[in-house]
Amino acid sequence: MKTINFAIDLGTTNSLVAKYDNGKIKIFNNPLGLKQTLPSCIAFRGNRIVIGDKALDYLEKDAENVCMLFKRKMGTQDTYFVPALDKEMQPIKLSSLVLKELKNFLPDDETVNSVVITIPAAFDTIQSNATKKAGYLAGFKEVVLLQEPIAACLAFANTSNIEVKEKEHWIVYDFGGGTFDVALVEADERELKVVDHQGDNYLGGADFDNLIVKNLIVPFIEEKTGQSDLWKSLKSKSSTHKGLYFELLKKAEEAKKELSNFEETEIELDISINDVDLYDHLIVKREVFENLILSNVENTVTIIKDIIKENQLLNSDIKRVILIGGTTYIPLIKKSIANAIGVEVNSSIDPTSAVVEGAAYYAGSKPSELKEDEIVEKEQTQEESIIDSKFFYEQNTRDTEELITAKFSGADIDNYRIIRKDGGYDSGVKSLKNNSFSEFVPLLEGRLNQFKVQLLNSDLGILKVIDPISINHGSYSVNGQPLPNDICIEIDDMDASATRLERIFAKGSILPLKKKIYKTASKTILKKSKSNLAINVIEGKSNGLPSSGLSIGYIEIFGEDLEDDLIKGTDIEIELEISESRELKINVFLQSCDQEFENVFSESERSISVNKINTEINTILSDVEAVIKTANANENFEYSNKLESIRVGLIEIQIEASLIHDDDISDTKFQLDDKKRKLIQDFDDLTRNEIVAKEIEEYNDTKADLEYHLNQNENERYKTKYQRIIQNEKEVINSLDRYLIRSKIKELEELFNAIIQSSDENFISYYLGLKLYDNFTNKRKAEKLFEQGDKALEQQDYKVIRHVVYGLSALVHENDRHQRKDFSDDSKTGLN
Amino acid sequence: MIEIINQIFALESKLQKNGVDDYSRNFDRIANEFKNLNYHVINPIGKSYRNEMTDVEASISGDLNKNSKITKVLKPIIYEVNGNETSLVQKGIVIVE
Repeated sequence: MKTINFAIDLGTTNSLVAKYDNGKIKIFNNPLGLKQTLPSCIAFRGNRIVIGDKALDYLEKDAENVCMLFKRKMGTQDTYFVPALDKEMQPIKLSSLVLKELKNFLPDDETVNSVVITIPAAFDTIQSNATKKAGYLAGFKEVVLLQEPIAACLAFANTSNIEVKEKEHWIVYDFGGGTFDVALVEADERELKVVDHQGDNYLGGADFDNLIVKNLIVPFIEEKTGQSDLWKSLKSKSSTHKGLYFELLKKAEEAKKELSNFEETEIELDISINDVDLYDHLIVKREVFENLILSNVENTVTIIKDIIKENQLLNSDIKRVILIGGTTYIPLIKKSIANAIGVEVNSSIDPTSAVVEGAAYYAGSKPSELKEDEIVEKEQTQEESIIDSKFFYEQNTRDTEELITAKFSGADIDNYRIIRKDGGYDSGVKSLKNNSFSEFVPLLEGRLNQFKVQLLNSDLGILKVIDPISINHGSYSVNGQPLPNDICIEIDDMDASATRLERIFAKGSILPLKKKIYKTASKTILKKSKSNLAINVIEGKSNGLPSSGLSIGYIEIFGEDLEDDLIKGTDIEIELEISESRELKINVFLQSCDQEFENVFSESERSISVNKINTEINTILSDVEAVIKTANANENFEYSNKLESIRVGLIEIQIEASLIHDDDISDTKFQLDDKKRKLIQDFDDLTRNEIVAKEIEEYNDTKADLEYHLNQNENERYKTKYQRIIQNEKEVINSLDRYLIRSKIKELEELFNAIIQSSDENFISYYLGLKLYDNFTNKRKAEKLFEQGDKALEQQDYKVIRHVVYGLSALVHENDRHQRKDFSDDSKTGLN
Repeated sequence: MIEIINQIFALESKLQKNGVDDYSRNFDRIANEFKNLNYHVINPIGKSYRNEMTDVEASISGDLNKNSKITKVLKPIIYEVNGNETSLVQKGIVIVE
């Protein structure tokens, strides 16, 4: 049996769409914003139709072309004259546009033919039929109606698991942003029925915001600035303070929300009025706010009492009151109703989404009577396939706006709409002229901007979606000059006890480039000391060894240059700038010395330090020798011969370098540096694959260990984090960048440790492992801990085991704990 | 995290208004941290306002036309970046005049 599953709350002020899926309700978000609600408001602007939030923009300027609250006119002969279109718009047509817009909330792969649409309890047959018609006009093939109070009761019943055995009366109290409704519902074990209803179409939460501005904020401003008649001036059509009025309304709304949760709130004012600046705070207590709105709330309670009385019931006949609508978050409402009626007032369901949620539960149980309508889908596919489109736009640009031009043929396309997929831009529905359009679209700087273009017929039905149109901002341009290589900075890799390269600008980036990076000092440099901080900017492969790249900027800041000590762990701010003519500028700011080194280096001042060449060779030689040793042990003599010639070459350079002075002005230094780089590059190329292969192997091992633990039931909750870590695994592995792979291993290890530490039992295997270790720094202490551990193991007291493991780990010899190479301060750049 | 970004934004706006100007380095540093945490924060102050901008919630005073500008930003625009995917996580709250 196929059920309808989809539901729409077609509200007077706001509308929502939801889906029932296997017992759960999914309320869809507006892809162009973050809200689940779509204001039921439409603006007509020349050849453009704007639906929802953005239509409200035109309320002030062009009210006659903005249609809203048309739900109240459903089923009447009343129409809305829209000057921009020079025609009358029927409420049915307007509602159908809102319904179509809600369809856009659904993912592209969802097709909806059947839907439940909610209607107010007050709707008569004609109004109900008008709503159905709007549904069909929006393209639905099957429309089932459901009264809003019933939907709210269903949401309540489904979330609170209550059982109704005898006939009961419930009140549904619906207080929204702009309207107020009360319905008396009869519930028994078989059905829910609306017996009576009443309401006020002109009372809503927005009235409370105005009360706060008028009675609290305006008098405060008047008192502080000496202004008079401010309220009148704010509300006047010709007011010069219109911007201020809206700002104050926003503040009032925020304060109202805060007061639902706290006893008092603070409204911060930072405004300018008639050349007087005011910066002050206004404290609003909940009690004061409640006094302001009390008479309005009492009116709503009177309506409840009336409805009970008119149906010959007593307050005690009402089993419960269910609250819906955003305004019911205000505690005074719940309190006033409970005091006046003396029954349970239930606010357990989400007041904003309760109606659509209840309607979705209903849709999930309501069988669809629609026959499998394959013909419709086929027709659409045919129409889609005959549309031929040609798009013209710059795929890469540095402009903040870009022109998209398109031409179409093959089908009758009347309208189009362009949406930026990150939610930041919507062209609105626009009419197509001569089967083509040209539209400037705004771009997010430095990002890949993806757009979706919808082609629509005259009824705004979607004919085809072109997705994605991608425009890359900032990375490339036809005019700029691209970087031939990565530009990197040499930093200390404390894990590997060596230095490594970190990419600052990627190969292909367009000049000019500027970037600020933040590092921390990896060593302390005392003022006036000989110790130094080295900033080495290198052009070359970012995954290669530092000494294999070309140093295009090398600066040293010595202790004697410092006004204060540079403390390990403090921030170092480095700004790198490469001009179009490839001139490199570096600005360094040392936080702990509060000292800035401006333009300390530029390309024309390039220098090579003999000392640096020597240190680099020393560092790499030990690595070369180690690899030769392993190759010989594996009898891989061809490989070790190649490595040996590199070793000899490096030693020869060292000897030559020792013979020249640092102030030597000949080219020798540069020649030696070139030779050194070449040899180190050869070594890098020879060994990189092996190193990367080892890293990948370790990555896979770590992942397998982690997966074993993740598959245990109690660790289910870590799975999302795990998925997040491995989601770009392919990219990382394919990059063949050992540092990237290593950082992934680190992330996996951190998660692994978190899992292990989440349960005491996981420490048993560690404990047993430590039993095999015999090099504790304090053997007597270790023995004592083992005694405690064995006893705890026997008693299954795993908490003690955890502590014993911590104790024993502290006694493991430092060298065994971190099998690290020596990384002296002299070999460090000082940047971490 | 969104609320932290908002508070930092408010703090910076306040200091700017009071003419304190030796804090920009600290704010740059914080902005960089937000970037590392994959948040792209935009302050649209002074920008021309277009109705098509769905990343701001605008209170418009006076006529909305080509010259309408964002004159006050109560909350910044925040996007979350995930690889090549960008998604709006907070609309800017602005006053347009």
